[in-house]
Order: sequence, then structure tokens, then C-alpha cells
Amino acid sequence: MRDALAYELVRIRTIRSTWWLTVGAVVVGVGISTLFSWGISADFADNGVNGPEPVGALVVTQVAATGQVPSIVCFILALVGVLAWGHEYRHGMIRSSLTALTSRPALWLAKFLVVGAWVAVVAFTTFLLAGLVGTLFLSDYLTVLDGQTWSVIGRQVLYGVLLTWLAMAFTLLTRSQAFALVMVFLWPLLVESLVKLLFLLVPQLRDDQEVLRFLPFTAGTKMVDVLSEPTSTFGDPLSPLGGTVVFGLTAVVLMVASFVSFRTRDA
Amino acid sequence: MAVIEARGLGKTYSGKTAVADLSFDVLPGSVTGFLGPNGAGKSTTMRLMLGLDNGAGNTTFDGKPFGELGQPMRRVGALLEAKPFHPTRKARDHLRMLAAANRIPTSRVDEVLGQLGLAEVARKRPRTFSLGMGQRLGLAAALLGDPDTLILDEPANGLDPQGIQWMRLLLQHLAGEGRSVLVSSHLLSEMALMADHLVVIGKGRLIASGPIEEFVKGSRRNAVVVRTPDPGALTTALEAAGHTVSTDPDGSLSVAGVDTRTVGDLAFEHGIRLHELTNRVATLEEAFLERTAGAEEYLAHGGEQVAP
Repeated sequence: MRDALAYELVRIRTIRSTWWLTVGAVVVGVGISTLFSWGISADFADNGVNGPEPVGALVVTQVAATGQVPSIVCFILALVGVLAWGHEYRHGMIRSSLTALTSRPALWLAKFLVVGAWVAVVAFTTFLLAGLVGTLFLSDYLTVLDGQTWSVIGRQVLYGVLLTWLAMAFTLLTRSQAFALVMVFLWPLLVESLVKLLFLLVPQLRDDQEVLRFLPFTAGTKMVDVLSEPTSTFGDPLSPLGGTVVFGLTAVVLMVASFVSFRTRDA
Repeated sequence: MAVIEARGLGKTYSGKTAVADLSFDVLPGSVTGFLGPNGAGKSTTMRLMLGLDNGAGNTTFDGKPFGELGQPMRRVGALLEAKPFHPTRKARDHLRMLAAANRIPTSRVDEVLGQLGLAEVARKRPRTFSLGMGQRLGLAAALLGDPDTLILDEPANGLDPQGIQWMRLLLQHLAGEGRSVLVSSHLLSEMALMADHLVVIGKGRLIASGPIEEFVKGSRRNAVVVRTPDPGALTTALEAAGHTVSTDPDGSLSVAGVDTRTVGDLAFEHGIRLHELTNRVATLEEAFLERTAGAEEYLAHGGEQVAP
């Protein structure tokens, strides 16, 4: 396992895409928060904290520290995961990898651990920097990095790691980097929207719309949602814990499937 | 020194047999050529040997399957792809990554880069590499752990004549150090110069395995060529003595399975004048084409097939 971790650590650091995506995530994350913080700060300066259309402190802190819900930062960083497996198959690296490391479980685990850790560190750093920028703009009006913001940051980081693992598992299952890259964005943006539309248009499904809260990415957004007021873990809407369980289970199921596939299929 | 023992290797794709019950040995101190027509199952066999593909049989390296080798690059070096690296990862980083998985010091990375003539491009991205340079980087990876066994799939692909000669000398040198080298190639003339032993397969099945001389010696293209002003009389005498005679287009006779002394003595006994009496030794290509006839994926139109 130690050898597999060493391999993955060198692999992730010696490819340019890792650094482009890392810098991109930080720039986008901090950039969006800067814009939000600057805009809200200007609004507060003109209208006061309790102006004609008051912005809740919670929303302020969240957008200042994490950009939006769920953060685009997580989606950018998930691409590091897509490429972690995608490069193996697109460039025929998998055979080199498996002649350097004979244990497939060790390589599989090392990839998920190293990429997960990388995403967690970069996401946390990005949100922390964003929070500090928010503090810089808004410290006269409210406390940005309070307990609740730390909680949202923690959940965003967890969301980022789970999303990355889900994307990695999907890439490994399909062995197609391009398909996985498209699906990471199409699934939440198009597929789940189509399912929701189907439930709206088909009369027989209309009464069962409450099950839609269990759609993986819909549930995932609840992990970091601070505006809803859930009444129970798996009620409608799902609580952050309920969202974490549903989204996390989706990731785990795909990861297990990818592990079985990786162990049994030809390299 | 490591003996490679492949036993009962088999692989099917959607019911179609790619490799069937294939067994052979690769001995230390020798270059073993792995030959077969396109689609014969050479690459599949190599992947099976290294546990990359699932299939029947097993391969051991000094008694141990590849999957049980700790730090495998220190025991077995493999080159299975033409460009087995990411195009934008620097050559040195590619080797550093593989070295990290096998606890090989970075100094060894620089050593093999120098040995393979890649020191100047060590910090370049291989997407700009020619096929030959890519092959050398792949070979550098195979040699990284200073392994006692090498499994190389078409390593001469893309190399220019100088590169092919360099490759031949390198592999012979490595075998001379006591390593086991299994190398597939479709360059039969190169293989004739490089290999000590051959494993020949066709349609996934073993056709021949053993020293290259024996393989060539077994060819029906080996014959005594004899030219005489009285071919009819000599043919009658040879056939009466139980030899098989065929007439070549230029009028000379080819006698299979006999040596020049026997033909000469027979001609003398019958008072037949000879103008030429020579041994025709089959080339590796002739022997290979003869033994693999019918096992290739395609038959060339207009080309003459060597009779089996």
C-alpha cells in the first residue's frame, strides 16, 4: 500500500492538468466570493445591513465563503478525479501502472485516497481564502467565518470529495474520460432535470414527486443547503445529513462497482 | 537469474479462442524470440503472463507468479505498448513515478536515462518524441529496476536501422549477463541475428519452441541443390534410393532430407556428371512462413505461399 501511495503522490504532482485544475478552482472559488463580498459590501454601505431588501447574514456568509451552492469549486476539482483514471486508459498507462504495482486493490485504494486528500486540501484552502476575502470586505457588518460558515465549509469539502470519488468511479466503470467528463456535468444539470420534468408531465408520476428528493445530485445539494428547513433527516426536503447519506451512498455504490470491475476486467 | 515458465495459458474473447493451452519456458542467459503472424496471440500471451488479462494457466518467474512479486520492476521489466506514458508528463517524471512504486532511487532514473540516450530529453514532454524515442523511454522503464527478466512486445517498432542494431546489441548484452529476455518482433531477419531460442505460435497455439537452429533445420526448405546435364538419370537414381526430388524452375534438382556427400556418392556410383552440388539452408523467414502457413490472419493476394 505504501508503494501505491508513493506512486500516486508522484503521479498526481507530475501532470500539468492537476495544477491547472487546482489553480482554476482556487481562482474561480476566491474570485466568485470576492465578487459576492464586494457586491454585498457595496449594498450594505448604501442601504445598511437592514436595507429595503435585506440579505440574510447566513446567505452572506455562505456565498462569501463558498461561492455558491453547491460550489463550482467542487465540480472543477472532481475533474482531477476523472483524469486520475481517464489518463490510465486513454494513454495506455494502466498496463505500466499494473506492471509497477501488482496489487490492483492497492492501486485502486491509493488513487481514491490520494485524489480525495488532494481535493479536500485544495477545496478547504479555497474556501478558507474565500472566507478571508469575505471577512476583508464585510468585517464591519458581520462575522463571515463564524461557526455556521465553518460547518458549511466542512460540508462543501465533504461534498467535493464525494463528488470526486463518484466521478472517479464513473470513469473507471466506463473507461472513457470524455464520457465521464460530460456526465459529471450532464447528470446534475440535465439528467436529473429531465427526471423531474417527467414526474411533472406524466400524470401517474405526479403524485410521487416527493421521491425526487432522493435523486443523487438533488440530495447532494442538500448537504450544503442552509436555506431549507428540513423537519427530519430523510423528510422533504432532506436534511444535510440525509443529503450526505443519499449522495454518499450513491458514491459508495459506484465505487464498489468500480472496484469489482477493476479487479476482474482485463487491463 | 530467473526462469520463466508459462503453463497452459489460454484466453478467449466472446467465445473466440485467442490463446489455447500454451506452454513454454524462457531460460536465463538467452534471448527468446516470440514469433507468430499478426493476431496469433503474442501480445495477449504477454499480458496473460503478467496478470494483466484474465485467462487460463499460469506463469511463474523463478517459481512465483507475477502478482506475488514484491516490487515487481526489480524482477520483471516489461514493455507492452508503443508509447506507454502520458504525453505531457516529463520523461524523467514518468520514470520517477514508476521508481516510487518500487522504491528505486532517483539516481537509477538518471542512470537509465543516460544508458538509453535520453539524458538530453529527460525534462521534455514525450508528446514531441518520435516513435523510436518513445520506445527507448518504454525500454528505460523496463530496465529501471535492473530486472533479471525482460518481456518486450515489439520493442524495435519505430526504430531506424541504427536503433534496431542498438536494440539487438543491448538485448544480447543483457542476456549475456544472465537475464531472461522474451522479445516479440515481426522483423525476422533481426530475430535471426538476435535470438538464441524461439517460441512460435499460430492462432494462439504453440507451433514450435526451442533453439533457433533446430527450428530452421526442421524446415523443408533445407535441401541439397544439384545441377547435372542428365537430370532424368539422377532423379531416377535418387528416387530409387528413397529420396524426394523436385525440379526447380532453373532446371536444377532439389533433394530434401539428405546431405551433399550422399548425393555426390550416388551420382558417382551411377556415372552421372555433376555441375553443381550445394547445400541450400532455409532462412528463418522461410522456416517461419512454412510452419505458420494457414495460421495468419490474412493471405496475401498474388503472393506465393510456401508449401507446408
